[in-house]
Amino acid sequence: MSLVRFVTRRVLHSVPMLFGLGTLVFFLSRLLPGDPVSLYLSPGVPPGVAEHLRSQFGLDDPLWEQYLAWLSSTFRGEWGYSFAHGAPVDEVLLQFLPNTLLLGGAALVLECVLAFLLAALAVRFTGSWFDRALSSLTLIVYSLPSFWVGIMLLSLFSFSFTIFPSSQMHSVGGEQMSGLAAVVDVLKHLALPALTVAIPGTAVMARYLRTSITETMKQDYVVAAVGMGLSTGRVFRSYILPNSVGPVISVLGIEIGVLLTGVLVTETLFAWPGMGRLAVMAIFTRDYPLIIGCTLCGGFLIVAANLLADAVRAWIDPRIRLP
Amino acid sequence: MGSRVLRVLPCLFAIALLGCETKKEGMTGASHRPVVTIAIEGDIDSFNPLFAEDITAGEINDLLFPALVSSSFDITSGELTYGPLLARSWEYADEGRDVVFHLLPNARWTDGSPVTARDVQLTYELYGDPAVASVRQAAVDNLRRTRGELDVRKSVEVRDDSTVVFHFAAASPGQLFDAGLPILPAHVLEKLPRKDLRTDPVSTSPVSFGPFSLARWIPLQEVVLESNAQSVVPYPAKLSQLILRIIPEYRTRLSQLESGEVDVVGGIRPEDARELTRNAAAVEIISTPGRDYDFLGWNNIDPEAAATTTSATVKPHKLFGSSGVRRALTMAINREELVEAYLGDHGRVAFGGISPLFTWAYHQSMKPLPFDPQRSSSLLEEEGWRDSDGDGVLDKNGLRFSFVLKVPAGNQMRTVVAAAVQQQLRHVKIEMRIEQVERATFWQEVTMRKYDAWLAGFSVPLQMQLDDLWGSDLQKYPFNLMGFQNARVDSILAAVRSLKAESDGALLWREFQEIVQEEQPCTFLFWINNIVAVNKRVRGTRIGVLGTLHHAWEWHVDTTAQVVTAVSH
Repeated sequence: MSLVRFVTRRVLHSVPMLFGLGTLVFFLSRLLPGDPVSLYLSPGVPPGVAEHLRSQFGLDDPLWEQYLAWLSSTFRGEWGYSFAHGAPVDEVLLQFLPNTLLLGGAALVLECVLAFLLAALAVRFTGSWFDRALSSLTLIVYSLPSFWVGIMLLSLFSFSFTIFPSSQMHSVGGEQMSGLAAVVDVLKHLALPALTVAIPGTAVMARYLRTSITETMKQDYVVAAVGMGLSTGRVFRSYILPNSVGPVISVLGIEIGVLLTGVLVTETLFAWPGMGRLAVMAIFTRDYPLIIGCTLCGGFLIVAANLLADAVRAWIDPRIRLP
Repeated sequence: MGSRVLRVLPCLFAIALLGCETKKEGMTGASHRPVVTIAIEGDIDSFNPLFAEDITAGEINDLLFPALVSSSFDITSGELTYGPLLARSWEYADEGRDVVFHLLPNARWTDGSPVTARDVQLTYELYGDPAVASVRQAAVDNLRRTRGELDVRKSVEVRDDSTVVFHFAAASPGQLFDAGLPILPAHVLEKLPRKDLRTDPVSTSPVSFGPFSLARWIPLQEVVLESNAQSVVPYPAKLSQLILRIIPEYRTRLSQLESGEVDVVGGIRPEDARELTRNAAAVEIISTPGRDYDFLGWNNIDPEAAATTTSATVKPHKLFGSSGVRRALTMAINREELVEAYLGDHGRVAFGGISPLFTWAYHQSMKPLPFDPQRSSSLLEEEGWRDSDGDGVLDKNGLRFSFVLKVPAGNQMRTVVAAAVQQQLRHVKIEMRIEQVERATFWQEVTMRKYDAWLAGFSVPLQMQLDDLWGSDLQKYPFNLMGFQNARVDSILAAVRSLKAESDGALLWREFQEIVQEEQPCTFLFWINNIVAVNKRVRGTRIGVLGTLHHAWEWHVDTTAQVVTAVSH
């Protein structure tokens, strides 16, 4: 099967999955207690306002009619109107999605780099205290909740040593910076949230990578390459690394889902203006169209990441393209 | 390979150093430019006063769209007073039923159009139009009707470009309060379909005429207001910029205040206020007696019976239906101790439903019911509640005095107070369980009077009209959460509405407090001060009863004051 057909088939499979996800979230969000309109009510607001808003938001129609309306608008490519933002959901999402992608992307890169460094050190010093510590600490670090990691990083690097800023994406007036100054400013703000998201995953990734590298190093072709007198660096780059990353790429695909979950908490903790924070606020305000929009967007990202991981794996190892 | 890895580490270290070398955010030039940064918890819901429900949004909108009159709160008299703003003067006519406002002739919108009487008229048309569904719709309730119908165009009459007349149904103390809403641009809004105003982009790029204009709004990040150099209402803000940064985490807001990254933080907890007073020399704590109180709500009516009847009077609650029981509950709770433990100087025991701020209406000689567990037990016994089966919980006709107290999640102090109340009620053999409920769910269900008991906070309005909280018509007043019904209270509420001056109702309000004290529809716990922390370099603030940003055009920065400077490592 060609790579194109492989990818096409996976894309087609993901369509009903996303449709099912949207339907599930549509009904689950409606099952939540709490009324989106109650947000606008306080003493002094006439009850008629609530009724008017309910009608304006389309909440006074029977549930099945609301569902059909959602289906029909989704198929037309319209995601509805956010109650809280008073703007089309896709516009709201597009405002925040790039920030999440930046945070997620940075966390992923950081996770890969750190995992590679740790795994390389563990392999280099196999059997040493470092190797043993890495193995033992992996589970502990992986099970650390993101908010705890975030609070620790904040108190250490922001409040105690004031190395990195504690919140937001820019400094005051940062939007008016340009060029390198603006990039450095964003990177400084990105550092702690990205680390928070990356740290738990780094541990497990390092462990996978270490195991995979150790297994590959025992293969006959590696022994043969060493026997032929090739340098250690060349053996590592040409024989060990390409054959070790395959299984790790699959894990990476799954890890992106975990990473997005971490983003949800991390964005709130660091006031990072991304989709995670948007989703949390949408849930608190019962902004149904935005809840569905955020979920579908998150679902799409996970599907796309897994697809990308599989495609890369298939590209590296042609055997897995076979049906 | 190991050596290469080791070569990367200094690079990482260099990145860390880069962070160290740079000055902390918010510091660059902070002492040179008149810019003030405020940390706020959540984003702004709307820059359109028709729809802004959020308190901070309301305060910002007051700076963008000034009202006809400027209000102030006189702490001594406990009354709102009014001065000129968009209206340079006003006079009363038709035996006090009409108010004639004369507008400043040279006020202009940021797009250059003049501010005229038509803007005032359209603004009130929009507030009152059900199709717009403004949260301030009630602002037109007191305007004069013609044959029972309200036509805002007639009730808010344009006499000429700079004269507008408000025709009220009666002379009342609330006339200037009602006429004190933000004024909107008619030339922009009258072209737009009214039902779509809520979602129109005009709300995010407002044409304004106040001392500040909106420079930019980055959702979930910051709102930047800048001085409007053209403003004559009242004049361009002294600050060049007022930046509101959205920082959801309380601890982060506090840390940034201490480090000087932000200048103003509201909603400071009493324990942190004490800490900041001791340790943060550059920070001033402003603690204003507020209009906010915490209370234990007892559902006076049976929630199940109330749900199935449309009758005006409903069945009393099986536990809390009797005022004797409610008084006993209040007397079983040591409110002085709660205030001492959690609020200190930043609060006081509450009773009667009228804030001590309103000195003219507050019952100075009345005292809160005392903490007296013995008297509480006797009252309960008089009501027929005894521990007949010896299980440590009172019972009556087979019904145990056991209930669930619902507490909205996310407020640490309320959680601790609930636990203290639980402990104290146990001493009079009442069993109380605590259940935290997510905030949106809590407010929906509590306004439907689904709960037996709850702990929550509320705020009394500036205008002394309490029908929404205490009126007996439970369909009309969903915020009468306890389902309290009292004919005399209804007549007091009606009587104060028709008085010419608010203070004429002092005796009526004292009677109201006596009734509330006797009936104890809820147990008022405490009034909570509004605590705001301000960097001392910020001068000219009028932080108080009317909010943090009240008259923020007067704020300026003292460059000679001690400023927390960036710390480099």
